[in-house]
Amino acid sequence: MTFLKIAWFEYLRRIRSKWFLIGTFGMPILILGISLIGGYLTGTGAGLETKYMGMIDETGIYGQQLIADLDIKYADEDVPPINIALTKGEFRDLQEQFDALVKEHSFDGYFVIPMDFGETQQLKFYAQSSATMRSTDVIAAELRQILTQERAASLNLSPESLTKLFVNVDVDHYDLGASEARDTEELIAGYVAPFIFMFLLFLGIFTGGQLLMRAVLEERSSRVIEVLLSTVSYNDLMGGKIVGLGMLGLTQSAIYLLAGVIGGYYYDMSIVTAGIGSLYFIYFILGYLLYAGVYIGVGALFDSEQEAQQAIQIITFIAVIPMLLWTLVIENPNSALVNALCYFPPVTPFFMMIKIAVGETTMFQIVLTILLMLVSVYASIRLAAKLFRTAILLYGKRITMPEVIRWLKA
Amino acid sequence: MIELLNISKEYNSVQAVDKLHIKIQPGRICGFLGPNGAGKTTSIRMLMNIIQPDEGEILFNGKQDRPNAVEIGYLPEERGLYQKISVSETLHYFAHLRNVKQAHEKIISILDRFELQDRLHSKVNELSKGNQQKLQFINTILHDPEYVILDEPLSGLDPVNQLLLKEILEDMKKAGKTIIFSSHQMEQVEKICDDVALINKGKLILSGSLTQILREYGKTHLQVTPENESDLAHPVLTEADAAIRNGSAYILLSGRNKSDLIARINKAMDIRTIKVAEPGLEDIFIQLVKGDHK
Repeated sequence: MTFLKIAWFEYLRRIRSKWFLIGTFGMPILILGISLIGGYLTGTGAGLETKYMGMIDETGIYGQQLIADLDIKYADEDVPPINIALTKGEFRDLQEQFDALVKEHSFDGYFVIPMDFGETQQLKFYAQSSATMRSTDVIAAELRQILTQERAASLNLSPESLTKLFVNVDVDHYDLGASEARDTEELIAGYVAPFIFMFLLFLGIFTGGQLLMRAVLEERSSRVIEVLLSTVSYNDLMGGKIVGLGMLGLTQSAIYLLAGVIGGYYYDMSIVTAGIGSLYFIYFILGYLLYAGVYIGVGALFDSEQEAQQAIQIITFIAVIPMLLWTLVIENPNSALVNALCYFPPVTPFFMMIKIAVGETTMFQIVLTILLMLVSVYASIRLAAKLFRTAILLYGKRITMPEVIRWLKA
Repeated sequence: MIELLNISKEYNSVQAVDKLHIKIQPGRICGFLGPNGAGKTTSIRMLMNIIQPDEGEILFNGKQDRPNAVEIGYLPEERGLYQKISVSETLHYFAHLRNVKQAHEKIISILDRFELQDRLHSKVNELSKGNQQKLQFINTILHDPEYVILDEPLSGLDPVNQLLLKEILEDMKKAGKTIIFSSHQMEQVEKICDDVALINKGKLILSGSLTQILREYGKTHLQVTPENESDLAHPVLTEADAAIRNGSAYILLSGRNKSDLIARINKAMDIRTIKVAEPGLEDIFIQLVKGDHK
């Protein structure tokens, strides 16, 4: 079993390196750290700015009320998000002056409360940039409240009666058969966990692919490939590499899933169930093998890492699809588009993992996607083997696309 | 014995190797000689089963089956080592792939012979070029292969280590191994090889035992250096068609009576040195290539 010797060598030499430790433990710590720092900064108000807005109030009523309400609303904030300079007057007299103030950046923009605002409820906003979008929502909401109060008063409703009119409906989420409602952490976990599963799969598969490509390039550029090929067969060499680096990815995944199990136990949640865990490994292996073929094939074609990275970029684009669409999949796991994409092999493992984690798939779909992946893996590895065999020893020669196609057809 | 029987290989309509036909005897060192780009490395790669010949066949001990990895030691031209792992890891990995028994003891003993014992845990990229070449050579022969194929093995080695390598090759030769030694440096090959195969532009232009080739193709000259340079124009030299170079006269010996010629020259002038200049492979090679020998 020569390929196992190669696999073991590749596995050991990387798992012992400090980069494996940094990659495995550093990455989650980094991501966690960034989110914590981000949360902290948002909490302190650092990074926020006050928008300075002008306001032309033609009615002479609403502007003043709005300012009073905002003062109460932002009383405790160190950095109030909006600061409004109110002017009573007519828009057509003041327009030029206000436009100039916006152009010289004294104002980020200005509102106009038209004379007939009470009837039309149409507010106008003038600005140069779109960075003020959120402020208009805030102002609109405040004015809505003022109008509501005004109308309630005209209908002789007391403020107490008014609050009775506005009721909130809360939903408690229960698992089937459960007597206690799920708490907020569980709800968030239910939404985030599928993403984390997909992200880990993504991380593992593409890190493995990159390492594989780099390993091929390293042996090619150092000519170790010649000594190896005089000692072992092409298939053993390629197979050994794929298996060795795959084991590395599996180790990494096992560490993360174990952390998930421990974390789940600690918070009394079952995020990583036996079913999800084993399907994770199945889709990891299939996805990894599919991309392993691509990365090894590309690695065999190029002399320098730079060229190979450029060629692999197109793959990266395909791989970004799940990163862009994950919310769509979590929220609409049974939509026609999501179901169709589940049968597109480059993204099958990622989409299926989300669907499995949100519990919206069928045994039939799981079996069918696994079969589809098996066929794709077979094709990918076979084609990679052809390229590897033909191109691995052609140094210093620019390989053209027609040549590659000819080799693949051979 | 290794036999290359009329092997050819074409790359993008360039004939890299053209009907090469060579037999390499066991217990002898066969030099593969030729300028850069002559087709040596391509031939060796076909021999190593790394690439397939377009035509012809390669036999090991009369059989088409390739010997397994354990029986072959191959040293590629330049590099061929992982740069970021240690000397020990390199040798152990390849020993493991080749099923070497008691690998550690063998590794320690051979590193000792090459005076690399204290570099066991050094990373390969921390070694000098010469030491990397030694490590490559060790990696080639550690498993005591039956067939040893060396592509430019002396590059980067100082004279002391060249001598050590030569000693080891002599030992292997005595043990009946079949050894191929490819090089573009003819003087090295002359010192080490028993047989040579001269290759140019993918074609074999000459092969056989080194001494026989030198005897057959080498033109032996008498090199005469007189005390007085004016004597170079002496009739006894000019009548013998002597070629004059750097204060010496060179007279082609073939068809002449050597002792008679020496006696006549001695009588005619004061001599500083007089000696028989042996021909070199390089002269023969140039002579054959320029003469467009078929």
